[in-house]
Amino acid sequence: MVNFTIQEVRALMDKPTNVRNMSVIAHVDHGKSTLTDSLLAKAGIISAGKAGDARATDTRKDEQERGITIKSTAISLYGHLDSEDDIKDIVGQKTEGNDFLINLIDSPGHVDFSSEVTAALRVTDGALVVVDTIEGVCVQTETVLRQALGERIKPVVIINKVDRALLELQVSKEDLYQTFSRTIESVNVVISTYFDKTLGDVQVYPYNGTVAFGSGLHGWAFTIRQFAMRYAKKFGVDRNKMMERLWGDNYFNPYTKKWTNKGTHEGKQLERAFNQFILDPIFKIFEAIMNFKKEETKTLLEKLSIKLAVEDREKEGKPLLKVVMRTFLPAADALLEMMILHLPSPVTAQKYRAETLYEGPPDDEACIGIRDCDPKAPLMLYVSKMVPTSDKGRFYAFGRVFAGTVRSGLKVRIQGPNYTPGKKEDLFIKAVQRTVLMMGGKVDPIDDVPAGNILGLVGIDQFLLKSGTLTTSDTAHNLKVMKFSVSPVVRRSVEVKNAQDLPKLVEGLKRLSKSDPCVLVLISESGEHVVAGAGELHLEICLKDLEEDHAGVPLRISDPVVQYRETVTAKSSMTALSKSPNKHNRLYMIAEPLDEEVSKEIEAGRISPRDDFKARARILADDFGWDVTDARKIWCFGPDTNGANLLVDQTKAVQYLNEIKDSVVSGFQWASREGPVAEEPMRSCRFNIMDVTLHADAIHRGGGQLIPTARRVLYAAALMAEPGLLEPVFLCEIQVPESAMGGVYGVLSRRRGHVFSEEQRPGTPLFTIKSYLPVLESFGFNADLRSNTSGQAFPQSVFDHYQILPGGSPLDGTSKVGQIVQDMRKRKGIKVEVPGVENYYDKL
Amino acid sequence: MTAQTQAPVLSTPESNLFETPAPSTIPARENRLSDAELRDVYETSRTALEIREGGWTKVALQFPDGMLNDAPRVFAVLEELLSRSEQIPEVNSVEEGEGEGEVGLGVKGKEKGERENRTRLYILADTSYGSCCVDEVAAEHVDAEAVVHYGRACLSPTSRLPVVYVFTRRALDIPFVVAGFEESFSGKREGGGKEEKVVVVADLTFQEHVPVLVERLRERGWRGVRGTDVVHDPTASIPNRRIAWRGGGNEEEDKEEGDLKEWSIWHIGSPPAALLLTLSSRIKELLIYPSTAPQSTSTNRNANGKSSTRQEIIRSNTSLQLRRRYALLTRLTTTPIIGILINTLSVANYLSSIDALKALIARKGKKSYTFVVGKVNAAKMANFAEVGGWVVVGCWESSLVESKEFYAPLGLALESDDERVWSGEWRGDFGGLDTGEGKKTNGRAVMEEGDGDSEEESAPPEFDLRTGRYVSNSRPMRTTTKATTASSSHPSPSASTSTSTSAASQILSRRPKQELASINGAVSPGAEFLRSQRTWTGLGSDFEESSEGGGGTIEEGRSGVARGYTVGENVERT
Repeated sequence: MVNFTIQEVRALMDKPTNVRNMSVIAHVDHGKSTLTDSLLAKAGIISAGKAGDARATDTRKDEQERGITIKSTAISLYGHLDSEDDIKDIVGQKTEGNDFLINLIDSPGHVDFSSEVTAALRVTDGALVVVDTIEGVCVQTETVLRQALGERIKPVVIINKVDRALLELQVSKEDLYQTFSRTIESVNVVISTYFDKTLGDVQVYPYNGTVAFGSGLHGWAFTIRQFAMRYAKKFGVDRNKMMERLWGDNYFNPYTKKWTNKGTHEGKQLERAFNQFILDPIFKIFEAIMNFKKEETKTLLEKLSIKLAVEDREKEGKPLLKVVMRTFLPAADALLEMMILHLPSPVTAQKYRAETLYEGPPDDEACIGIRDCDPKAPLMLYVSKMVPTSDKGRFYAFGRVFAGTVRSGLKVRIQGPNYTPGKKEDLFIKAVQRTVLMMGGKVDPIDDVPAGNILGLVGIDQFLLKSGTLTTSDTAHNLKVMKFSVSPVVRRSVEVKNAQDLPKLVEGLKRLSKSDPCVLVLISESGEHVVAGAGELHLEICLKDLEEDHAGVPLRISDPVVQYRETVTAKSSMTALSKSPNKHNRLYMIAEPLDEEVSKEIEAGRISPRDDFKARARILADDFGWDVTDARKIWCFGPDTNGANLLVDQTKAVQYLNEIKDSVVSGFQWASREGPVAEEPMRSCRFNIMDVTLHADAIHRGGGQLIPTARRVLYAAALMAEPGLLEPVFLCEIQVPESAMGGVYGVLSRRRGHVFSEEQRPGTPLFTIKSYLPVLESFGFNADLRSNTSGQAFPQSVFDHYQILPGGSPLDGTSKVGQIVQDMRKRKGIKVEVPGVENYYDKL
Repeated sequence: MTAQTQAPVLSTPESNLFETPAPSTIPARENRLSDAELRDVYETSRTALEIREGGWTKVALQFPDGMLNDAPRVFAVLEELLSRSEQIPEVNSVEEGEGEGEVGLGVKGKEKGERENRTRLYILADTSYGSCCVDEVAAEHVDAEAVVHYGRACLSPTSRLPVVYVFTRRALDIPFVVAGFEESFSGKREGGGKEEKVVVVADLTFQEHVPVLVERLRERGWRGVRGTDVVHDPTASIPNRRIAWRGGGNEEEDKEEGDLKEWSIWHIGSPPAALLLTLSSRIKELLIYPSTAPQSTSTNRNANGKSSTRQEIIRSNTSLQLRRRYALLTRLTTTPIIGILINTLSVANYLSSIDALKALIARKGKKSYTFVVGKVNAAKMANFAEVGGWVVVGCWESSLVESKEFYAPLGLALESDDERVWSGEWRGDFGGLDTGEGKKTNGRAVMEEGDGDSEEESAPPEFDLRTGRYVSNSRPMRTTTKATTASSSHPSPSASTSTSTSAASQILSRRPKQELASINGAVSPGAEFLRSQRTWTGLGSDFEESSEGGGGTIEEGRSGVARGYTVGENVERT
C-alpha cells in the first residue's frame, strides 16, 4: 500500500527546502532501475518482496522484455528522517520538519537514449550516480556525469552490485576496499575534470557520506555514516570523527586500543578500519548464510540485532541472505539518507543554477524568481519532455516549476525553442488544463504546484514539439534549450505498405517526434519519410513504436543510411563569380574550410548567431586566430541560421551592400541546406564575399536577381574548393576480456574502425577499447562483435565527430566517394552526375 | 554616330530570352526542311482549307519557339495557298516572303485596306506562357478571328477563339515500331499469348500513325491492342485521348477507369512529365518508345542492320517524381503565404478556379496573393521572398514546373488542397478543384466549434514534416475573427464607441504609427514578413552597424558641378 497521500505530497511541495529532485543516472546495466525499486518498496508502491525484480519504473512492455530502460520515468516519494540528529547533519541548507518529498527520475543507461537523461537532468538538482563494483566507471557513466555537472547538478554515488563481488568473485576484504576506492577515485577524476566554480567542489567521499555501497538486487545498501552512528556510541566518539576513521588509511590497533593511520603494528599487518568494522560483518553474514551455517547465522543475527519475520526464518541460502541483508541494511534508508542529507533542495540549487538556466539578464523578475525559488514570482516552468498518455496522440508535458505556481486553468505563455522576446514567433497563449503528479506509469491529479517541483501538464502538448518554456511574464526570456550529447545521425526511411494508410503514417510520425526528445522526423526533398535516431537501437525502438503504437499501420522500413555533410577541403582555386539572371549584378566569392574546432563550438552553441557580434569576434580572434575585422563581419550562420557554415563579408566599400544582404543570406541558407554535390547539408564551410558589383538601380538588384545568384556563386565556390563528404563517426567503447580482444580488433579493422586507446581495468581481466567507428560501418556492428567474441564484448557507441570520407573526390564518379554520391543522387531522384562548376560559374 | 558592332556590355544576351524552366520536349530541327516536307509537316493545305471554310479574315499563326525559324516559310506557303484559292492574282505574297528577317520580331501583317475579304495572316512570336497553350490574348491584339496552333498542344479548351491545331506530323518507321512493340511485350508471357491489353498512345506529332500501327499489330495477332483518338478533353482518363474500342468484338464505349488499370500504355515519343505523372497512377504500366530521330533511322538501317537504330524502350517509373511532388506538397502545407501564379490566359474557367483556390486557401487560414508574371523563371519568382509557396494555375501540361532553381516550391492547384489525401494519384488540371467543397466546409465548421471556447488562446502550431519542427504561424489568417474581438478591447478611441464595430469601419480607423497594415484585424502576413525578416529598412538603417569602430570624423566634401568642384569655403577649384 502506498504509505503517503497526495495531500501529504502537496503539503510538502509548499516547503521547497524539504524537496529533493534527483535523477538516477549510470551506465547501462549498472542497476539503476533495480535500485530505484528499493525506494519504491520503501514508499509502499511495490511490495518489498518484488523489489529488485519488478523494475517498476520500466513501465513499457518492451522495457521489461529487453531488460533495459528506454524512457525516463518520474515518481514522487515521501521520505522521512526519524532522528533529529539526521536533520542536524543537513549542512548548508535549511529544512523544516523531518518529512521530505523526493521527486525521483529513473533514466535509461544505454547511450542511445542519453537524450532522455539530458531531459531528466534538466528538471532535477541532484543525481544518484550508480556504478557497478566490477565494471567500474564506464563510458556512459562519464557521459552522464559530465552532463550532470554541465547542468550544475550535484552527484552522490552508490557503488552497486557488491553482492556479485562477494558471491561470484569471492574477493578479499582489502581487495574490495581497493576496488571501491579506485572506483571512487575515477568518479572524482571525472568530477574534477568538469569542475564548476559556482557549484564548488562536488567530489564524493565515503567519509562524507556521499558514497553508498550496496546491492540493488538484494535490496541492501549502506553508507559509512550509518555504520559510524552504530559505532560512535560504542566507542564514545563523535559521529563525524568516526566517519572519517572508517575510510581510508585508518586502523584500529587492537593492541594499543588506539586509532592510528599506520598500517602496521610491530611488523604485523593491521586491518583497515573499513574492513574491520564494515566489511567484516557483511562478509560474515554472507559466509554464514551461503555456507548454510545455521548456528553461526543465528548468533550473528542476534549480535546485529536483526529480527526476521516468521515466514522468512525458514528460508536459507540466497533468499535468506536477501532478507537478512535487507533487514540489516535496508537500501532505501541508506539512499534516502544520502539524498536528503547531501543533495540540494530546489531553494539551494536554484541559487546557483538560475544563471545557467535562464537566457535572459540575471536581474529581471523571471531570473530573480528562479533564483529565489519563489512560488509567488511569475511562473517559470520548463517542459523537458513529453510523456504519452493513455489517450492516444495526447501527451503530458513533463517539466519543472522553477518559479511561481502553476495551477489548472492558469493562462500561460508557451514559448517554443525559437522564441525571441518581443516577437510573436513560437509564442502561444493557452490555459493549462490540468496539473498532475507523475507517479511512474500512473498520474495523480493535483490542483497546483509551486516552485521547485516536478509535474505533468495536460493541455499544452499541442504547442510544444518536445520542450519549451512556460511563463506568465510578458518579458521573460526562454529557459535555456537543452543540448543533447547525442545527435540523430542514423536514419531510415519508412513507407506504408498500403497507400491509404499514409495519413496515419504522417500522424504517427508527428506523435513519434513528440514522444522522444532526440528523434528527428522529416520528409526529405525526395519525398521519403525519414526517421533519424542516435543509434541503431534507438531507431529500432522508435520504429517499433511508430509501427505498433503511433501509426498502427504496417510499414516498410529501409536499411539504415547515414546523413552525410558536404564540405570543402581547400580554398577555392579561384574566385567564383556568378552573374544575376539579368547580368547586371555580380557576386565574387571564395570558399574555404572552417576549422573543425570552430564548427564544433558552433554546434555546441558556444558560438552562436545570437551572440553579441563583438564578443563573438573576440572569441574567434583570440581562440581561433581569426582576423577581427572578418570575425565582426559574419553575415550569418547556416543552414537554419545556426549551422556550422559561415558567410563572411570581406568586401571593401561596396555600395548598396547592406541592401542585398537579406537576399544573399537567403541564398546562403538555401545553398547550405542543399549543397552542390548531393543536396546534402553543408558543414564546416566558410564563404567569403570578395566583391560585389551591383546595378545602380534598386529594381535590378532585388531578391529575384540575387537569391538565385547567391546560391549559384556559393555552389561554384564550393565546387572549386575540392569538395568532400563528411561522414559521422561514432566513439565506440568496448569492454572485453583479454581473451576476446583479437575478435574485437578483427571486427573493428574490417569496419574501418580505428582504435586509439586500450586500457586494462585494474584488478580485472577486462580491457576497455576506445575506437572511432564510422557510423556507416556500424550497422550490424553489435551483432558482428557478439558473434566474433562469443558475446563477451559490450560496445557502446555515441556520435563523436565528422570526418572526411576517404576514397577520392565526390565529383569523380569512378571513385568510391563518387559512387556513394551517385547512389545518393539516384535515390533522391535527381540527375545522377554531379553538375559541374560550369553550371554555376559565369565568365566575366 | 558610329554603328554599334557589338552588344553593350551589360545587355541581356539573346540566349536568355528563351530560357524557360519547362524544357521543350521537341528538339529543334537541325536541318532545313525541303519545301515539300514543309508543306507536309505543317499541313498547309489542310490549314488553308480550314481557314477558308471558316471564312476568317484575320488569322494568327502560333509557333513554338523551336519552330519559329520555319515560320516565315510556312507563312509564305499559306499566304500563297490562300491567295491562289481566292483566285486573285497575288503580287503581295512575294513581298511577304521577303520580310523574313523581321517577321520573327513581332506581329506582321499586311495592311491593305482595299482588299477586305482577303485573309491576313499574323505570326505570333514570343508566347506569353507555354507554347502548348493557345495564346488568345496575343491573337486578340491583332483582332485575329482564329488561331492556327503549331506543334504539340495541351488541347486545353479555349474560351474565345476557334483554333486550328496543326500537330506538325513527324515520320515514324512503322515496321520498326512494331518490332519494338513485340519485343517489349512478347517476352512477358511465356505462352506467347498476344492477349496483352495495350493501348497505343502517341505523342500528338505522331498521332496520325496510330491507326496504321494498331492495324498492323492486329494483323500480327495482337488482339488486345487498342488505338486512341484525339479528343479535346484534358480531364479524360488518358488526357486528350479516347480509347478507340472498336474492333475489340464488343462495342463497349464507356469503359470505366477501373478497367484501365489492367491496361498497359505504349507511348510513342517521349511524353511530357505531366502526362507521365497523370498516367502512372491510372494504368498498369507505361512503356515509352522514344522516337527521337525518325528520319535518319531508315537510312542507317540499310547500312548497318538493326542494332544501330534500335530504340531503347523505357519503362517509365514515376515513383521518384511522384515522391518529389509529395515532398513539395508537404512544404506547401506549412507556408503561411501562398502565391497563386497565373500561368495561362486561355484555359477556360480559370477565373472560377482561381476563386475556388482563393477560397480554399482562405479556409485554411492562409494568405493568398495572385500573381501574373508572364513566362515563369526563377528570377521572377524569387522577387517575392515573402511567398512561401506557389500554386500554378495553368494548362495541365505546362504548369508542372520541375526545377531546383526556384526559391520557393511551385505546386499545382490540386496539390495545394491539403485536405486531399495523397494517394499516389496525380492530376495536372484543376477541373476537380471545386468539387466536394460542401464536405470540406463541414469539416472546418466542426473544427471551429471545438476551438470556440478558447477565445484569446492561440491556435496550436503546425508540425512541419519537411523539417520535423513546429511552425507557429502557418495560418496567419485563421485568427482573423478572434483578433478583431481582441483588438476592440484595447482602449482606442474608435473601439470605445461600440463593441460591434464592423470590420470595415475598423480598416478606416487610424492606426498608430509604425503599425502594420491589417485586414479585419489580422496583420497582413506580407507586411509582417517584411517587418520581421528584412534587416535592410532603407537608407540609414545600417548606420548603427557600420559605425561600430567609433566612426570617422566628419569632413566636408566637395561640392559644385562637374565643371569644377569646390572644397569647403575655398573658392579654389579642383
